[in-house]
Amino acid sequence: MSPTTARQIGDDLLRPLLHTSWRFYLVVALLGGIVASGLGAWAYQVYQGFGVTGIRWPTYWGFYVTNFVFWIGISHAGTLISAILRLVNARWRRPVTRCAEVITVFALMIGAMFPIIHLGRPWLFFWLIPYPSERQIWPNFRSPLVWDFFAINTYLAGSLLFLLLPLIPDFALVRDRTTGWRRKIYGVLALGWQGTTKQWHRLESAMQIMAIAIIPVALSVHTVVSFDFSMAPVPMWHSTIFGPYFVAGAIFSGIAALIIAMAFLRRFLHLEDYLHPVHFENLGKLLLMMSLLWTYFIFAERLTVWYGNEPSEMAVFWATQRGEFAPLFWTMIVCNFVIPFPILSLRRLRTIAGTVVASFTVLVGMWLERFLIIVPSLSHKQLPYSWGVYRPRPVEIIITIATFAAMALLYVLFSKVVPIISIWELKVGGQSMPVVTPKEEREADGLWRARP
Amino acid sequence: MAVDLDRCTGCEACVTACHAENNIPTVGDTQAARGRALHWMRVERYWEGEFPDVRLKFRPVMCQQCDAAPCEPVCPTYAAHHTDEGLNAQVYNRCIGTRYCANACPYNVRFFNFFNPSWDKPLHLQLNPDVSVREVGVMEKCTFCVQRIKAAEVQAKAEDRSLKDGELKPACAQACPATALVFGDLNDPESEVSRLSRSPRGTKLLDDQGTQPKVTYLQRQSSE
Amino acid sequence: MDRREFLKASAITGASATLAGCGHPEHQLIRFIPEEELVPGVATWKPSICPLCPAGCGLLVRVMEGDAEVVRNGQIGLIKMGLAKKLEGNPAHPISQGKLCVRGQAAIQITYHPDRLRHPLKRTGPRGAGAFQEVTWDQAIDELASKVGALAEANNQGALAFWMRPSRGQRRELVAQFLHRFGAPPPFSFELFGEDVLRRANALSFGREQLPTFDLARTRYVISFGADFLGTWNSPVSQNIGYGLMRQGRPGQRAKLVQLEPRMSQTGANADEWLPIRPGTEGVLALGLAHVILNGRMRSADAAGRAGTLVDGWMNGLPDFTLPHVETLTGIAAARVERIARELAESAPAVAIIGGAPLAQTNGLFHALAVNALNALVGSVETPGGVFFTPIPNASSKPDAAGERERRRQSAAPTLDKLAAGILSAERPPIQILLLDEANPVFAAPPAWRVKDALQKIPFIASFGNFLDETSILADLILPDHSFLESWVDDVPEAGTTMAVASVAPPVMKALHQTRAMPDVLLDVARRLPRLNPPLPWQTFEQMLRASFEALPARAAPQTTPGVQPAVDVWSKAQEQGGWWAETPAGTRPPPNVATRDPGRPVSFVAARFDGETNEYPFHFLPYASQAFLDGSLAHLPWLQELPDVVTTAMWSSWAEINPKTAERLQIAQGNVVEIASRHGSLRAPVLLSPGIAPDVIAMPVGQGHEHYTRYATGRGANPISLLAPIVEEETGALAWAATRVRVSRVVGADLQLILFAGALRERPHEHEGR
Ligand code: SF4
Ligand code: SF4
Ligand code: SF4
Ligand code: SF4
Ligand code: SF4
Repeated sequence: MSPTTARQIGDDLLRPLLHTSWRFYLVVALLGGIVASGLGAWAYQVYQGFGVTGIRWPTYWGFYVTNFVFWIGISHAGTLISAILRLVNARWRRPVTRCAEVITVFALMIGAMFPIIHLGRPWLFFWLIPYPSERQIWPNFRSPLVWDFFAINTYLAGSLLFLLLPLIPDFALVRDRTTGWRRKIYGVLALGWQGTTKQWHRLESAMQIMAIAIIPVALSVHTVVSFDFSMAPVPMWHSTIFGPYFVAGAIFSGIAALIIAMAFLRRFLHLEDYLHPVHFENLGKLLLMMSLLWTYFIFAERLTVWYGNEPSEMAVFWATQRGEFAPLFWTMIVCNFVIPFPILSLRRLRTIAGTVVASFTVLVGMWLERFLIIVPSLSHKQLPYSWGVYRPRPVEIIITIATFAAMALLYVLFSKVVPIISIWELKVGGQSMPVVTPKEEREADGLWRARP
Repeated sequence: MAVDLDRCTGCEACVTACHAENNIPTVGDTQAARGRALHWMRVERYWEGEFPDVRLKFRPVMCQQCDAAPCEPVCPTYAAHHTDEGLNAQVYNRCIGTRYCANACPYNVRFFNFFNPSWDKPLHLQLNPDVSVREVGVMEKCTFCVQRIKAAEVQAKAEDRSLKDGELKPACAQACPATALVFGDLNDPESEVSRLSRSPRGTKLLDDQGTQPKVTYLQRQSSE
Repeated sequence: MDRREFLKASAITGASATLAGCGHPEHQLIRFIPEEELVPGVATWKPSICPLCPAGCGLLVRVMEGDAEVVRNGQIGLIKMGLAKKLEGNPAHPISQGKLCVRGQAAIQITYHPDRLRHPLKRTGPRGAGAFQEVTWDQAIDELASKVGALAEANNQGALAFWMRPSRGQRRELVAQFLHRFGAPPPFSFELFGEDVLRRANALSFGREQLPTFDLARTRYVISFGADFLGTWNSPVSQNIGYGLMRQGRPGQRAKLVQLEPRMSQTGANADEWLPIRPGTEGVLALGLAHVILNGRMRSADAAGRAGTLVDGWMNGLPDFTLPHVETLTGIAAARVERIARELAESAPAVAIIGGAPLAQTNGLFHALAVNALNALVGSVETPGGVFFTPIPNASSKPDAAGERERRRQSAAPTLDKLAAGILSAERPPIQILLLDEANPVFAAPPAWRVKDALQKIPFIASFGNFLDETSILADLILPDHSFLESWVDDVPEAGTTMAVASVAPPVMKALHQTRAMPDVLLDVARRLPRLNPPLPWQTFEQMLRASFEALPARAAPQTTPGVQPAVDVWSKAQEQGGWWAETPAGTRPPPNVATRDPGRPVSFVAARFDGETNEYPFHFLPYASQAFLDGSLAHLPWLQELPDVVTTAMWSSWAEINPKTAERLQIAQGNVVEIASRHGSLRAPVLLSPGIAPDVIAMPVGQGHEHYTRYATGRGANPISLLAPIVEEETGALAWAATRVRVSRVVGADLQLILFAGALRERPHEHEGR
């Protein structure tokens, strides 16, 4: 089976949309069940009061904010990576970008839920929105939480656009290949795409503009998320390093999430012909770079704290280095560096399996990293009398698990209704190429030759 | 407010007085074990040295009513805000429960209502009608007994005079048997609290945090 | 109460009004008559008296209008009434001077306690099972009167006993008069942390059978032997007020505080010098100090007067108390003893205080007499900055009060252990009817005294208490009292001021429940008894109070001419300000209330005896009055349960304090559960590591471990009294509650929670980290 014909590409990539196996229903039911229990847990929390969580004085932020930062971090997989790859016109990107962009949108949606789940009075979340109200006050624009609101919504809107724009030709394709109600729906989604030169030209320019615009937005999002912490005088939060540190961590975990998503798609949607080891290899290299960068950041952060020897910071420092949080801290180091580093730096191990293993540990490590930024600091603030430990309770654990299930579920459903690999881009990449540099040509050849 | 640590005996009358005045609920053993007890006023204790040359030091800690309060800018809804009089006010109705302010407060004096408060009847008959009861999901903290301040101001205004120094006391200072807590107007240089704040023993708690707290701690002296 | 409940309750009220209104106009509803002086939203302040401890602080109660759900004649209704909202100190009152302690602040929860007894009860099930049925007041009083009357019929008046909590004033006087006229023994009190040893010592040394008052505000040096005078001991509020003044009340002058005790108390925490003295040797140290002062010729031996002569060897300069010997016995370095002695002698006015555990040793009286002699030696008795004895006003309307007191003294008051043993050994118990008024000896007495078994043998027990506790649950009949805010209260403080004080206050609010004031019930019972001779002259307790206060002089004057009408209305004034008080000019205070009598043989040091062999029971066991619950009688108040103990920060739990080194040796960590066992019992508690306790001492706060004491205290924690040996102070027979030895072992797998408010023990936990 060769994907070199446009017809074949279309057939392969549209197969999941048109044929549904029982496995799909099973997976959806399973994931749906977990998500439903998460929603149930949230309802229980709202009904009973926030006290059913493990949050306490003085550790007022815990799993929910960890998940928030984690998922917003994951969201950097997509749009940011895809935009960079688009801008540098890396040709191997073509089968990857859409899987990545989807991650962004869903991770953002899930991440953005957490500030609401985490509210003491979630029914009043809309007070964060500036709207004219009888209270006659705007939200406090000095609050990083309000910045979050804007940053995340901007990023979400941008990412949606970034995802949807290149979907238009593919929707048109589906429209043309289907009949009945599907045709109608995809017809609407295709926004009247006819494939005229003018349309192609406009699409290309729009993508170019979006790719440039979305990068600062993405960087700013996690910088702003880091500001939630670094703006507060909490030991080991009040740090200038947090902006880049958070962004690096976000891209790090984002790539890991992307690798895992691709591996799943490749396996379960039989896309071996489109997602090649070279994709994993290249993403693996990126992951390696981020692992080194992340390790550098955490080293720099720890070193300066230790050297500075500020008493309240040292309390947090020791709690994580060798106190009650040490097991988690060293697990994080193992997960983010000790395991991925050899796997990703040895070409022999940088296989699909290798990168997937490394990505899994990175996800675990990065989740722990978010947790270790939040909890040890809050439980060891300036006055030792007020120290306290945090133990998550079932509600938080269920909701946390449910968000992973929600991510998977959204992904499964999405790949059911939308070609998860950009068909037209592949076609463009595989056949006629509007702009081809000699370097790209060589890459393309290598790409197709690397096929097993 | 000035806190004379040389007078404070750790008797905790202030703690219960604050509960009685401000409708602070008790949460019970299970929730207390989970860190949900609310004590707007707490008497910190720190051990120094080793047996037998060991000392214990007490320090009452309540909201320091910071002039540069880090809890205020982070609040997205202005529930924590600065009043014209310089108090750090907490508007319960406006709070949506992000708990961000509590993270930002270096003194950890902000307490969250993890559940709707309840009083086994008829304990609720004791509630002070001048102070609202806070619902679930809302942050609360020492207000410097703002209800007493307001009442005294209204009274003084009705009598067409200005407030006298010492005329009004928050519940904790009222109760404190050793007179370790002294409340007054810092804007009046003649007031007792102003005088104490200028004491050479005076320090501010976590002064290095730049919060500009309005509470002065007068250090314990030694007769050695 | 929220609006919905209000509507519901109003609906019920309305509906039953319609129903009741039809046929039976006499079954009227609670009428909605607002109290006249109340303006909605406006507070009034009324005086009252804190009933929680013998200090007797004067209160001001903030009263505001509110809606209370009440039951009257079986009908529920809402009533607008004045409700107490907050307790504060009464600024005019000489003891509290406008202040209150943490317990006093919480006292308001007694009135509104959800588990208060709301109406008379009669036992239905077996004794102690807690099964009661509601009866009417008429039934209850009839039953009590007929039981007591039957005793008189049988000419067995001596078999009526009345056990009440220690108190002074007219409430106790009324009980005493009733018993006296009936022919029964005087009221009996037992308190775990009773002060009989100190009273006896003061009677012997100074002729005052009374607790001392300390003029801390003017002193320059305080040495305290185990007295937690800032926490729970004697008159804590007035002592805290004095302490504040002694530290920072005089510009440039700051008194020094030295505290001797094996476990750092709240007072120890405030000391400039804290010395963990070996338990049972406090008097040795006091005499060691006296030895230095006498032999350094800083004072002459006869400066101590009678207090000195009571100590063996005093006039010879206490040759048995040389510094090396004192160091061996007490564990305090000789050089230190010498320095402190010099400081003490040079820092006049100075004062020595003894209280708490030292007096609860087998040789407690010796320690007290030694400290009294030391005080007398440095010239601190009845001088500014020293020890005073509060003049007791002659607030007595009783014609035969003096006689009664004399009789009480002569018929050497029995002790609880003897009473219990008497009941247990007799075929027919010498007590046939026991009346209980807020006394809980079943909780507060060592198990070996078998108080509960003894009570089980008494045929009829009636209790006036507000709550069901370990003792009142044994009652056959319960006639619940009003809370202190709902009734006339009075008190005559024994210590805490140099003024003569008699406190009194009318009810602050109407009764919430169908309770009745004990004194009025007693008067009612008395009226139904045919053979009270002579009958009590008052119809109500108020009348009795009025009579007693009208007998007080209008102004404090050394000699009030008898028969001259007071210039002001003492009674109205007393009600208004919460009592009567007068400064008695120095030199004209009343003569000692104990006749000078032969002090008997001088005391000398006999080593304290402890129950339990040292090798088998290696630790001294030190129960102490908890900051929150005192002797356990306040464990039912939720504010106090949730109060973080100031030293340990524990809430809602029991704990055992152990030195970290000891714990390390025994491989016990913070929060581990240990079993503490004496020869008489064992208990389990989580461990709290405390740097401020001697390595051979285990301390536990008293207060928790109630079997029956409302929803907040029942079944919570462990009761350290259950370990105590039935060992007594040898001279007075008072329980030596600090003389039990215990052993400790770790219990694996036990799940007892230690609930702490604080996180870290130290302010700079990482100060000494290597870098
Ligand atoms: S002490 Fe804390 S809560 Fe109070 S004003 Fe300062 S920062 Fe805000
Ligand atoms: S918890 Fe309430 S007061 Fe605090 S920051 Fe959030 S909204 Fe503001
Ligand atoms: S000032 Fe008022 S609110 Fe603040 S601690 Fe004191 S009593 Fe509580
Ligand atoms: S009431 Fe006064 S003396 Fe007592 S703990 Fe509070 S501040 Fe200290
Ligand atoms: S010392 Fe405390 S408990 Fe005792 S009477 Fe005074 S206020 Fe009440």
